[in-house]
Amino acid sequence: MADGILLERAGVPAVSICTDSFVPAARAMATVYGFPAYEFVTMPHPLASLDQRQIDACARELLPELVRILGVES
Amino acid sequence: MAAAVHDKPPVAEPPLVDAAEIRTAMEYYARQEWTDGLPVVPVTESYLAEFLARTSRDPKDVVLAMPHLNRECTVRLAAINAAMAGCLPEYFPVVLAAWEALDGEGYVTRGIWQSTTGTAPLLIVNGPVRDRIGLNSAGNVFGSGFRANATIGRSIRLTAINVFGLHPHLLDQATQGTPAKYSACIAENEEASPWTPLHVEHGFDPADSTVTAMVIRSVAHIEARHTQVPEQLALDIAWTVGRTGAMVIGTTSAVLVLGPEHAKVFATAGWTKDDLRQFIYDHSASSRADLAAVGKDAISRHTRWRLPAGHPDALPVDASIDPVPALNSPAAVQVMVAGADNAGVSAVVESMGARGNPPSIAKVRDLE
Repeated sequence: MADGILLERAGVPAVSICTDSFVPAARAMATVYGFPAYEFVTMPHPLASLDQRQIDACARELLPELVRILGVES
Repeated sequence: MAAAVHDKPPVAEPPLVDAAEIRTAMEYYARQEWTDGLPVVPVTESYLAEFLARTSRDPKDVVLAMPHLNRECTVRLAAINAAMAGCLPEYFPVVLAAWEALDGEGYVTRGIWQSTTGTAPLLIVNGPVRDRIGLNSAGNVFGSGFRANATIGRSIRLTAINVFGLHPHLLDQATQGTPAKYSACIAENEEASPWTPLHVEHGFDPADSTVTAMVIRSVAHIEARHTQVPEQLALDIAWTVGRTGAMVIGTTSAVLVLGPEHAKVFATAGWTKDDLRQFIYDHSASSRADLAAVGKDAISRHTRWRLPAGHPDALPVDASIDPVPALNSPAAVQVMVAGADNAGVSAVVESMGARGNPPSIAKVRDLE
């Protein structure tokens, strides 16, 4: 969360992604950084043990939401 | 005179303060979540002043900062939490040395207390301050029963929660944590050690009092009451140090907290601490096949964590290195003595501390 917020503040478009297990921690960190309403993307837990095919599938599924938060012109 | 004794009431005098008032204060602290779950001691300015009088440092001095949270702990805040933890004012110089050692180690300032790994800080106290404030270095050294051990360790946890805001389920993301998160402060049983104490080994004077601090995950115990053969005992320890479950990144590090009986087994056979370290280094390595069996035979090019050789992030494996060392050098093993001299029992503390660098040790100041 901290990296995403700091990148955005530095003018670098960024979206943070975390698994659903980390949502309370993510909100707490965003609040520490003075951005309690910071919008981020969540995905099902776990992530670390997924194989390449499963990671690719997650990425495809998350992409529209990432693009929406980034605000890409259509 | 005998009559006067009989004139005394059969029970204690009623307390001057109603327990309900004490409980009101305790519950207030609990409602504010200024606690590790146990009751804390209420602190007023007058009580705080007794702690601050024990140090020459300015109350505004920063003892540890966490830049990524934009939060810092001052001497005053450390004192408030030491008092809340149940410390006596005379313990405060040890608490301050603990913060200095934690700061010097470097893991805490980089956010390890927020990690899913769920570590705890272990404090090891050496020198005359042990006797002066009643720190236990003998029987039940990792257990309960001694105010100085219990409350100095607890003061660190309360500060983590109250000053840095590391509440579990929120900024403290520990998957399971460890019982050591309540408190982990031991003293070395220097008097029962056949070797140089930990702090002297690292350049301090025997008359110095010091705190060594390190991030730990587990305290695994070694039961070996049957042997006077140093190699047997050392193998038991080495195989515990090298267990694959403890392997997160490439190598690990450990503190051997030897019971006095085990320390004597080694010393009687003529082993020095360095002999023991070298033996542990040589025998804690795992075969590449054993590491492959648990999917930890390679290292990630990104995180340096262990993963299977076939993983897309895996660095190329050097098959000529077999067995694979669990430690980066013999110096990744610290050796100390603690506990009662009553059984062949020791412990391996699995530390995330210095892997071959000297441990972080701070001198206890302002003791006079």
